[in-house]
Amino acid sequence: MVFSWLHLAIILFLVLGALFAGGPLALASLLAPKAKGGDMGMPYECGIVPLGNARGRFGVNYYVYALIFLAFDVDVLYLFPVATQYRWTVGWDAFFEILIFLFFLGLAVVYFWAKGVFTWPRKIRL
Amino acid sequence: MTFLAAIPSELIHIVIGMVAIMAFVGIHVLVLVYAERKGAGHIQRRPGPFEVGPHGILQPLADAGKLIGKQLFTPTNADPILFWMAPVLAVFPVLLLFVPMPFGPVVTVQEVNLGLLLILAFAGIGVLSTMLAGWASNNKFGLLGAARTVSQSVAYEIPLLLAVLCIAFQKGSLNLSTIVEGQGSWPWQWNIVTQPLAFLIFLVCAFAETNRAPFDLPEAESELTAGFHTEYSGMGFGMFFMAEYANMVVVSGVCTALFLGGWKGPGIDGVWWFMIKVYALLALFIWVRWTYPRVRFDQLLNINWKWLIPLATLNLLGTVFLMKVF
Repeated sequence: MVFSWLHLAIILFLVLGALFAGGPLALASLLAPKAKGGDMGMPYECGIVPLGNARGRFGVNYYVYALIFLAFDVDVLYLFPVATQYRWTVGWDAFFEILIFLFFLGLAVVYFWAKGVFTWPRKIRL
Repeated sequence: MTFLAAIPSELIHIVIGMVAIMAFVGIHVLVLVYAERKGAGHIQRRPGPFEVGPHGILQPLADAGKLIGKQLFTPTNADPILFWMAPVLAVFPVLLLFVPMPFGPVVTVQEVNLGLLLILAFAGIGVLSTMLAGWASNNKFGLLGAARTVSQSVAYEIPLLLAVLCIAFQKGSLNLSTIVEGQGSWPWQWNIVTQPLAFLIFLVCAFAETNRAPFDLPEAESELTAGFHTEYSGMGFGMFFMAEYANMVVVSGVCTALFLGGWKGPGIDGVWWFMIKVYALLALFIWVRWTYPRVRFDQLLNINWKWLIPLATLNLLGTVFLMKVF
C-alpha cells in the first residue's frame, strides 16, 4: 500500500482518540474509591430485585428494521462514486440509470410498507 | 534549527492539528455543557447553574472533577471487557471526524478528497459503542435503550446520506473544502437556497443521529431510566456525554460546510464565519431540546420510513433531473 500523509493522520488521530477516552478513565480508576459488597453489583431496575436475565428473548420488530436498513444503506453507498462523476456526464443516459436504481430502492420501502412493518402494534405476516 | 528542518512539514502540520483539535473538542464540550444547562435554565424560567464561579461559569469544571472522583463500577453480571470498551469506543473516532473539517480557507488538518465519506464512515462507530454498552451491561433498560438507539440511528442514516448526496451530486465532489469553495459569500449563494428540502432533512436527521430531543428516546428518562448508559457510573457516563457533545459539533460543522457556505460570509471570509454558523446551529440544538416534547417510538420510526426517506429519494431524483435540464 502506498504511504500517504492522510493514512498517518488517520492512525495518529485514532490513537489520540483512544488516549483521549482512556486518560480520564485511567485517572478515575486511580483516584476514585473502590467500594464493593452488598447489592452494589445488582442491575439497576429502580430498586426492585430484577427478575431473570436481561439477555432473554427479544421482540423481532427491530430485526425487520435492520433488514430494510441493510437493503438501503448498502445501495445508497453505491451512489457516492456516481455523485463525483455525474456532473460531467453527457446526455440523459446517466439520469435514466439513476432513475432505475432509485426506483428499485424505493420498491424496498413499498414492499415493507405493504407487508405491514410500519404498522404498530405489529401485524407482520412473515 | 537544522534538527527541526529535518522533520517533514506535513508531520508538523498533523501534530499541530492533533493538539489544536484536542483543545478544540475539550473546550467545546465544556462550553456546551455550560450553555446547555444555562439554556435549559432560562427556557424553564430558572437561573440554571449559579453557585460555582460568576453565573456558574465554572460548573462544567466542577462536574468534570466530580465525575473523575466517582467510582468506576462494573455490575456483577456484566461483561467487563465489552462494558468498558463501549465508552472508549464512543470517544475513539470523535477526534478523527475533525480531520477533513474546513474551518477556514487554509485551516484544515488535512484536505481529504473523500472527506465527507470519511466523516460518515467513522461516525458509524458511535452506533457500535451504544450497542455494546446496552448489551454488555446486562440490564433490561440498557438493552431496550440500545435496541432503540440502533434502530433509530441506522434508520435516520439513510435520509441523511440521501440529503448529503444531493449536494455531492450538485458539486461533483466529496471534498468538504471544494464544496465550500463552490458557494458564494452572500446567503443567497449558499447551497441552502438550491437545496432547502435537503437542508431540512439533514437537520432532522442530525437531531436523530446525535440522540437529541425530540428524538432522545434511547435515553428517555421517564420510561427507560437512562437507556443504554443506565449502568455506567462516573467517567463511563462522562465519556458518552462527551461523545454526544463532540458529535453535535461535528454535525453542525458538516451542516455549515454543506449548506451554509462554510467559512464564507458577507464581508471578510474566514474562520469566524464558520464558527458563528456552528454556534448558531448548536444554539438551535439546545433551543429545540428544551422546547419540544419527546415523540413516541413508533412515530419516530414511521416519520422516517414513511416521510423522510421517500422525500429524500424524490429530492435526489429531482436534483439529478434538474441538473440535466439546466
